[in-house]
Amino acid sequence: MASLITCPHCGQRPKEEFTIKGDASLTRPAPDAGPDVWYDYVYLRSNPKGLHKEYWHHSSGCRRWLIVERDTVTHKVHSVTDAALTKLGGAA
Amino acid sequence: MSNHRLSTGGRIDRTRTIKFSFDGKALTGHPGDTLASALLANGIQLVGRSFKYHRPRGILTAGAAEPNALVTTGAGGRTEANTRATMIELHDGLIARSQNRWPSLAFDIGAANGLLSPFLSAGFYYKTFMWPAGFWEKVYEPLIRNAAGLGKATYEADPDAYEKCWAHCDLLVIGAGPAGLAAALTAGRAGARVLLADEGFALGGSLLTDGDATLTTILAELDALPNVQCLPRTTVIGWYDDNVFGAVERVQKHVALPDPHQPVERFWRIIAKQAILATGAEERPLVFGGNDIPGVMMASAMRSYLNRQAVAPGKRTVVFTTNDAGYRAAADLEAAGVDVAAIVDPRARSDAGWQGKAKVLANSCIVDAAGGKALRSVHIAGASGTQTIEADALAMSGGWSPIIHLACHRGAKPVWSERHAAFLAPERQEGLTIAGAASGHASTSACLGDGARKAAEALAAIGFARVEPTFLSADDTQAAATPFWYVKGSKGKAFVDYQNDVHLKDLGLAVREGYGDVELAKRYTTNGMATDQGKLSNINAIGILAEARGVSPAEVGTTTFRPFYTPVSFGALTGTSRAKHFQPARKSPLHEWAKKNGAVFVETGLWYRSAWFPRAGETTWRESVDREVLNIRKNAGLCDASTLGKIEIFGKDAATFLDRVYCNGFAKLPVGRARYGIMLREDGLIYDDGTTSRLSEDHFFMTTTTALAAGVLTHLEFCAQTLWPELEVHFASSTDQWAQMAIAGPKSRAILSEIVDEDISDAAFPFMSARTVSLFGGNLEGRLFRISFSGELAYELGVPAGYAESVADAIMQAGAKHDICAYGAEALGVLRIEKGHVTHAEINGTVTPGDLGFGRMVSTTKPDFIGKAMLTREGMQAADRPRLVGVKPINPETSFRTGSHILADGAAATLENDQGYVTSSCFSPNLGHTIGLALINNGPERLGEKVMIWNGLRNEFTEGVICSPVFIDPENEKLHA
Amino acid sequence: MPDFPTSRPVLAGKSARHGKGITLEALPEGHVLQVMGATTSADLRALLDSAGLTGSALRPAGYRQWYAVGDTPLDAQALQAIVTALPPGTYLSDQSHGRVRIRLSGTRATELLSKGTAVDLHDSAFSVGHTATTLFGHISVHLSRTGETEFELTVLRSFAEALYSELEELAA
Ligand SMILES: [Zn+2]
Repeated sequence: MASLITCPHCGQRPKEEFTIKGDASLTRPAPDAGPDVWYDYVYLRSNPKGLHKEYWHHSSGCRRWLIVERDTVTHKVHSVTDAALTKLGGAA
Repeated sequence: MSNHRLSTGGRIDRTRTIKFSFDGKALTGHPGDTLASALLANGIQLVGRSFKYHRPRGILTAGAAEPNALVTTGAGGRTEANTRATMIELHDGLIARSQNRWPSLAFDIGAANGLLSPFLSAGFYYKTFMWPAGFWEKVYEPLIRNAAGLGKATYEADPDAYEKCWAHCDLLVIGAGPAGLAAALTAGRAGARVLLADEGFALGGSLLTDGDATLTTILAELDALPNVQCLPRTTVIGWYDDNVFGAVERVQKHVALPDPHQPVERFWRIIAKQAILATGAEERPLVFGGNDIPGVMMASAMRSYLNRQAVAPGKRTVVFTTNDAGYRAAADLEAAGVDVAAIVDPRARSDAGWQGKAKVLANSCIVDAAGGKALRSVHIAGASGTQTIEADALAMSGGWSPIIHLACHRGAKPVWSERHAAFLAPERQEGLTIAGAASGHASTSACLGDGARKAAEALAAIGFARVEPTFLSADDTQAAATPFWYVKGSKGKAFVDYQNDVHLKDLGLAVREGYGDVELAKRYTTNGMATDQGKLSNINAIGILAEARGVSPAEVGTTTFRPFYTPVSFGALTGTSRAKHFQPARKSPLHEWAKKNGAVFVETGLWYRSAWFPRAGETTWRESVDREVLNIRKNAGLCDASTLGKIEIFGKDAATFLDRVYCNGFAKLPVGRARYGIMLREDGLIYDDGTTSRLSEDHFFMTTTTALAAGVLTHLEFCAQTLWPELEVHFASSTDQWAQMAIAGPKSRAILSEIVDEDISDAAFPFMSARTVSLFGGNLEGRLFRISFSGELAYELGVPAGYAESVADAIMQAGAKHDICAYGAEALGVLRIEKGHVTHAEINGTVTPGDLGFGRMVSTTKPDFIGKAMLTREGMQAADRPRLVGVKPINPETSFRTGSHILADGAAATLENDQGYVTSSCFSPNLGHTIGLALINNGPERLGEKVMIWNGLRNEFTEGVICSPVFIDPENEKLHA
Repeated sequence: MPDFPTSRPVLAGKSARHGKGITLEALPEGHVLQVMGATTSADLRALLDSAGLTGSALRPAGYRQWYAVGDTPLDAQALQAIVTALPPGTYLSDQSHGRVRIRLSGTRATELLSKGTAVDLHDSAFSVGHTATTLFGHISVHLSRTGETEFELTVLRSFAEALYSELEELAA
């Protein structure tokens, strides 16, 4: 677990200011994607060793949802981007 | 008692005398003393009893690794057990007591444990007390806890203050010995922001013992640099991810009566761009029989007491050493005029060039030390036979182990170095460099040079150009060290782990019984598991295991280093978060209004909510609540609803967004109207409910339950930012902006009409209206909603929070002639149960909209919403799911409790027969009996069925009948009045 | 007809507190306007100025969020004028009663703040005009450096008393 996250909007902050939601590589399926796809999306999670993208919410700061890419072995944070801006293809 | 204080020397202030006590005895010392040095100066060697065998123990070290001299200090709420006498700065009024002895330190009944020692060998926890099983809790564990142990904690509250703080620096230097000081000075001169922390009360480390003249100069310069902050009495206790360090500063542990406005301890979290670990090296004890007898001491500790506090622990000292350090101690002792009986060295010839008076016995070992509560003599075996020498002190040195604890907190593994005969940590890790003796350097000049050079390198890595090292690197002509793990042929117990009473034979036994792996041996023998975490013992244990297994220490490896480096008080970890600051109290803007109306408050999360408003003559909460409920159904009441979550939702896509987060439709909600909405989780189960109003085309106002106010906002932000970032929608929490008042009851319209300027008749302002309104003849704007949780004609009025009390007063005044009353959360609960309205008691994470009777609200036309896909899966629509109904007792004189389970009539009270449970219940003053809401299998198809309501915890059975969950006004006539 | 309603400041009972190197005071409950959307600090500044709010401070509060704050309360008309002037896609939420401002000043101000927030307040990292939304202990605050040794904390009204009491204790 990282001790510090550098929020692209607020700068370096302690983990206490954030809330973690989990895997950020999931894509919400279409409503008619079928039960198997939905089951995977809602319930199945991998627990990767190494690089992992997660949603972190800067809940006590700017209240933006971030995508934190970190290494579950070394705990090193590789990148932090704004989730919405990343998805819209803009810079974060 | 003889005086062991030398007449000259030392870094003590002889002009001042400090009074303290040990085991009730009044003693004196001087500023500059530790408790340990003051005890030694007073001739006190015996300071405690050992953990398991209750053996007499003395002071072994002069530092943080002390395993023996653990004492209890202070009195009353300031009682602190297991503090190391070597780390306590002597101060006036210090009260210290020895531990783990009864009835007294000198005569201890528990020492009989020594006689039981055959039963207390390695693994005794696992072997001796196995049978019968029931004996463990009742007999063995209390027995062991009583016999073995440390000091006792007090039950009194700690009267002192603690606090936490954050710090930032370019360079954190841990340890203020030669390497640390050189590093701090180098970085300080370069203009970097420097923090220099040292666990001691005086900065200098080994320079304090060696009397190096450079110390004064360095400290003066550091003091003058505004960008350098020195933190003496500060132990860095952990290295965490992203170069965050934890440290504990003992701000006022060295004063008799702490200033109440200052903390006694301060917990630091230090964010360092770079750090230098200059923690020095720990001297190793030698393992021989009786190596724990009071009077046996580390050679470096003896030097420290001699040179810093001018204390000679013994009158006649014998030195047992495998390296130069013992000779340094002997030289210092002789220089101070203390008799050195002999220097015993297992090596063939000493390379220290000894020129002192004492004879050197090469190729020799001390096999056993003799004495009870004090050292009497040592038995020496060597090439030239055996001999016994009388001595009252023994200085031992088994070599040096770099203190690499912190460098290994983040997973780095120590590596065995043959040349140093020690485990070293990687010298450079990201953000942390080890310098000085901690990285294997020996001489002072080498440590100064190493610290300076590594600080310059560390700063270069973070962009400081051309930093000049303040000391030049020096050659470290250090001979290769020879490890020496234990003396062969000892008769007495040869201790490896002093604090946990683990001796040589225990480790041998562990290997023979198959627990030779370092992690297994640790747990089997408890070596290294005491509060000192094996600072002195681990390395010898590893060497002994290696030898027993016939492998190199490299192959044995170390156990894992974990924070904290030394024990940390709960006070420091708690900081200011105690008593009324344990968690912040959230107060509604109507708090003062409720208070003056006599409210009884209840804590709901962080909020203080008014629960009921007792009046004169009411003796139970039920009387007040019943009165409030009846009055609302008859007249009117005012309730504080400000704690409900309130979220302003803006944006041209706000309606589209709401359509996707609620399972029912919102896109077509007209401006000026409110709608009850249900939010699902993606798994199709209900997440939260509330009312959302449309205030303008692109502005909605959402309310959430109190419990999920923060959660819902976070959920909305997640949906908007990660699922549909293309939608233009913004959120602002306005929970604190608006004071929200529920005005309920048949008279509510009449009352509000006196405050609200607009027409609020049923025609002009029908059920589910929501509008900004003018109040008090245009003097204030508010938001009025015609919504009802009670089932009565009701409104919610929102006004800017500052006006809350004034407006509530006005409503109460206007309502006086209509008999309005204030009501609280309890009455609100009764009103909603009577009306069959759900809360999170029913929305319990397992229910679908259909389960609560909202099945037809779920949109079938919207293409998508959160939870839509999973709501259609198998089982989610099954009729036999637990679904919402009402329950009531057949005999109105009987009652039941929330949480009771439902059994079919005549079915046995077993879990197999469980058919659901009562989610909410209350006494209904309107019906005159208990009512409940329940989730019962196939409930709505079973109305009128007789059931048994079973409380298994209390063994209560109530005959009941399943009924509609709406107990009052099922036709909603009152609502639409 | 009941009396004309009055607003009661949540920290009304608190007098300014002067400690060693610390002054703590509750600021008047004037206006706190939360602005959200696709605009810029410069545009908002111009908008506030043209609305006559030259004395109001404009403080960034994260991605596309600002607070406009000042000591004077705004009436409904003044507020509506600003809302009307906002560019499309920009929204305003009046938080004048929802958030309370506390001023902390003095030579020990940064030292006191470091007991609650992990934000680096060194002059080189957090100069005058800098703002941060951060945790102070357990409470979320919006922190602004308003002077060399002067800071403002904006806190949710319901937490104001708890925060003030904690600051009072730390300032002692
Ligand atoms: Zn942020």
